[in-house]
Amino acid sequence: MAITDELSALRASTLASIAAAETSAALEAVRVAVLGKSGTLTGYLRSMGSVPKEERAAVGKAVNEARVAVEEALGARKAALDAAELEAAIDAAAVDVTLPGRAQQMGTRHLINGIIDELSEIFLGLGYSVAKGPEVETDYYNFTALNAPADHPSRSMQDTFYVHDLSGDTSQVRGESDVLLRTQTSGVQVHVMEDQELPIYIIAPGKVYRRDVADPSHLPQFHQIEGLVVDKGITFGDLKGTLDYVCKQVFGPDRKTRFRAHYFPFTEPSAEVDVSCGICHGEGCRMCKGTGWLEILGCGMVDPNVLEMSGIDPEVYAGFAFGMGVERIACLKYNVPDLRMLLEGDMRFLRQF
Amino acid sequence: MKVSLKWLSEYVDVPTDIKAFCDKLDLTGTGVEGVEKTGAALDGIVVGHVLTCEAHPDSDHMHVVTVDVGAGEPVQIVCGAPNIAAGIKVPVATVGAVLPGDLKIKKSKLRGVASCGMCCSQRELGFGSDHSGIWVLPEDAPVGEPIADYLKMTDTVLDLEITPNRPDCLSVVGFAREVGAMYRQNWRDPLGAMAAELSLDASGAPVDEAVSVTVEDAVRCPRYTARVIRGCKVGPSPDWMVERLAAIGQRSINNIVDVTNYVLFLLGQPLHAFDLGKLTGADGRAHVVVRAARDGERLTTLDGEQRVLTPDMTVIATPERGAVALAGVMGGLDTEVTDETCDIFLEAATFEAGRTSRTSRNLGLISESSLRYERGVDDQGMVERSAAAAALIAAVSGGTVSAAAGNESGCVDVWPAPSEPARLAFRIPRFCGMMGADIPRDFVVDVLARLGCEVADTADADVLAVVAPTFRPDLEREIDLYEEVLRLWGMDRIAPTLPASPDRVGVRTDEQRKRDVINDTLRACGLNETMTYSFAEPGDLARLRMSPEGLGAPVELLNPLNADQSVMRQSVIPGLLRSVAYNQSRGVHNVQLYEIGTVFSTAEGRKKPKERKKVAAVMAGAMHEAGWNTAAVPFDFFDGKGVLESLARELALPKVRFRALASEDAPHLQPGRAAEMLSGGTVIGWVGELHPLAVDAFDATAPVVAFELDLGALVKASCPARPYVDVPTFPAVSVDQAFVVAEDVAHEKMLQCMTSAGGKLLESVQLFDVYRDEERVGAGKKSMAYALTYRAADRTLTSEEVEKAHNRLVTKVCKATGAEVRG
Repeated sequence: MAITDELSALRASTLASIAAAETSAALEAVRVAVLGKSGTLTGYLRSMGSVPKEERAAVGKAVNEARVAVEEALGARKAALDAAELEAAIDAAAVDVTLPGRAQQMGTRHLINGIIDELSEIFLGLGYSVAKGPEVETDYYNFTALNAPADHPSRSMQDTFYVHDLSGDTSQVRGESDVLLRTQTSGVQVHVMEDQELPIYIIAPGKVYRRDVADPSHLPQFHQIEGLVVDKGITFGDLKGTLDYVCKQVFGPDRKTRFRAHYFPFTEPSAEVDVSCGICHGEGCRMCKGTGWLEILGCGMVDPNVLEMSGIDPEVYAGFAFGMGVERIACLKYNVPDLRMLLEGDMRFLRQF
Repeated sequence: MKVSLKWLSEYVDVPTDIKAFCDKLDLTGTGVEGVEKTGAALDGIVVGHVLTCEAHPDSDHMHVVTVDVGAGEPVQIVCGAPNIAAGIKVPVATVGAVLPGDLKIKKSKLRGVASCGMCCSQRELGFGSDHSGIWVLPEDAPVGEPIADYLKMTDTVLDLEITPNRPDCLSVVGFAREVGAMYRQNWRDPLGAMAAELSLDASGAPVDEAVSVTVEDAVRCPRYTARVIRGCKVGPSPDWMVERLAAIGQRSINNIVDVTNYVLFLLGQPLHAFDLGKLTGADGRAHVVVRAARDGERLTTLDGEQRVLTPDMTVIATPERGAVALAGVMGGLDTEVTDETCDIFLEAATFEAGRTSRTSRNLGLISESSLRYERGVDDQGMVERSAAAAALIAAVSGGTVSAAAGNESGCVDVWPAPSEPARLAFRIPRFCGMMGADIPRDFVVDVLARLGCEVADTADADVLAVVAPTFRPDLEREIDLYEEVLRLWGMDRIAPTLPASPDRVGVRTDEQRKRDVINDTLRACGLNETMTYSFAEPGDLARLRMSPEGLGAPVELLNPLNADQSVMRQSVIPGLLRSVAYNQSRGVHNVQLYEIGTVFSTAEGRKKPKERKKVAAVMAGAMHEAGWNTAAVPFDFFDGKGVLESLARELALPKVRFRALASEDAPHLQPGRAAEMLSGGTVIGWVGELHPLAVDAFDATAPVVAFELDLGALVKASCPARPYVDVPTFPAVSVDQAFVVAEDVAHEKMLQCMTSAGGKLLESVQLFDVYRDEERVGAGKKSMAYALTYRAADRTLTSEEVEKAHNRLVTKVCKATGAEVRG
């Protein structure tokens, strides 16, 4: 048989083997058998020297043609097998996508601090900064500098925790002291007015203490957010507009506010602010005790005595102040049924927020 | 304060729409805390007109009547009363009504005749004792009107929150004035007519001879008046007064005491009636002295309690008896009016407000008098109010009021310190500017006048001259008047605006931003924020086994709610441990909690305690339950430390080290699993597994991993900005190397050796395995495997360079630590 015939037979059998190869490994075996170091086609290439000169051109051409054809077939077959194998691998890798993912457990923010964050953001947007003050105060900052001098009846509006005063000073009333757990964040107003330049636009969130036994609606420690503005030309309308904006941000744009005249020693005129009930929308229901309104905060124009005590001229400057109970907002927004849950650290409660 | 609208309506027109009235009260500053309707027991009983009256066919004394009750068909009733007749008007209990005594009216048949109701006698309605026949009502009684309305028996009692600045509203007439101002209508002051009832009796000893009054300190007692009423017969009060007092929840005592209470509630003047005979001395005169109590002086007050007094308190005293009353708070038991009392000494006075409040608080004794005195009682008009009271006492007890020898008023009046009314300017433009509203001048003038101010024009048309009434001690300054006008104008009428000033920017401080980073990091580490009590039990630290060293003295409360919460916490951990126990006892075993909270400490001689903020956490159980593709890995020391490492990274803390804590330095931690965290040599806090005994003492189950860091130290150590370092452009070479070292060689030591021996080329060291095996590694030894990364910033390292550096490192590490290279 002529070499060219052998080659065409080899080429045909190789192409058949390639077509028959079912796996990459089988295909590789074919490649090695034909094109490997001791492959059959490689043998022809190696033995080209022994081919008679006049046949060399034809044989060489045939060998090359066979090699090209085999390589093309190998390539094509490899691509097909790879695609099939990838497809098979992909099929095999399919998962039940409803199985739980590999999530990192993120911790949660406490509800009360979450609300403080939310309000801080709102006030930062209004151009306020966030101030703070100590939780243990002297009588002066908690009461006197807020226009509630000693023995003033307004002091009995709150039941105060007194602290053992180790300085040797004594109180005129048994069981009381010059040092106390602050009953309101309002003392921060005084610190800020003493320490900061005018104008003042601040809020001061913080923990306060009152002598109430813990029950579903009372805690001996809770949180307030105090607000204070002192500037030229501040009006009662500004106070209303600010708090109306804040209430709508916190509770929703459809809620209304209502200002009821009230009394606080450190503001005048003073008001309590109600927000319209989110359940009955003002019709009256159990949530709002039939009034259609929910009390949310106390506020007023800063009393000129308070400004004066902090060295600010009330003929030049005016201001407003407000204080809201954070737990109260939590109850209204999230219907927390028992305030004590806020202090228990029950994971099932904390992880809801 | 309780206000009967029936009583109030005698002095001012009360709106018929009670809900609207209450809303208006709420909006103008008088909080309505309760609305109680009385007289409801007579529901279903109406005025009826007897149309026909026939004899009962089967009875010789009963009648069958038809009665128009104002609604629908006349009803047929069988009636046994002798005075029933056609044409008269009678109270009719219709079917469904309930009579006093729980008698329910039903349809019935009496001797075969249907009866649909009952005609009532006075007694059957609970009105007196007349049961002789049907109560025949006047001919003009409107048919169908509920009997309770017709007889004005219905009343609405409001429970009002009177703010501490409004002593004037603690009386019916003061509140009537307020209602008049609210609705801009006139009210009717009864005082003049009541005082005019007084007739003085000059036949006996004049009052100023029978009694003398000495006020030792005008500040304690600005005014003291006394009257004498002789020949009183102590007994029950008239029904109308009993009813008035009962409506506002006051029990009737006797006619004398009831008058003092009635006048207190009506006019706001606290009064005290003494038995004159018990005050009178041997010379036949009562020498009454208002003075400071003596230290340790004793007085048994009306409530039967013996009180030990201090000189800060003021008493009414006589030379013979000593203290007979606690000024402004409560009378004494020994001189009270009894059934045998004949002659009365009637005190009307004012006492110093702050001192009254202090006395009340020091004795834990609050009375209707002290409530008013501590807010301020008007000294003006006192003689008239005392006259009204004396006239009423005389009227209800049959006594006579003694005249005075020295004056026309029949009063001993010691008035060392008359009050001066406040004279104020009201600048209308300033007011309008501050409120942000144009409130008309006419309104301002009218409302101030209705509140009792004298208002006059001044040369400046923008300014009003206002004299505030002395019964309004809260009206001291111009701003006080602004409040009055604004609240009565209506806060709802002020348009909302925002402050116009452009001079403000809201900024967070550096500390606040860092605190946010800490919170975010702890949450990213899977910790849940909680809050616990700032209060602690005094034994908490000992129970936790925490050394009190360096924590200062605990801050003690003078009036704690209970012994468990009698000091302020010195560590956040006990509170968090309680939460761990709380969760574990409820079957929640995976607990990851943190709190950023204040701890407190003090020292002898210190006034205000020190407050520090702590970042504390507890971790018990695992981060999560085992999942289908994740194992539940129980928390151990390294979970706590890992959180701190994350914090250190996020806050860019420099030179962070963890140093093992010996058990004597941290007895609250399990020995061998305790460390303190340092940054640049400063201690930031500790981390470790809490000692099993400490955990147990809080009824929690160990292990509990915990840390407590000082927030201030963290913030202070935190670097403001991180420097940029070039991202490497040349390849690194990584070499794994295991060392076998003795157990006591710490990773930190190995790290230090490698870092110093590795030179510039050593980029990083990563521990990837710690292996112990007695046979293959040796007893008391461990194999530590590190991945060492070598890189040069300016070239590709050759393998020779790496090999050289690495060999040098290995040699030095072995020499310094006694390590052997593990093949």
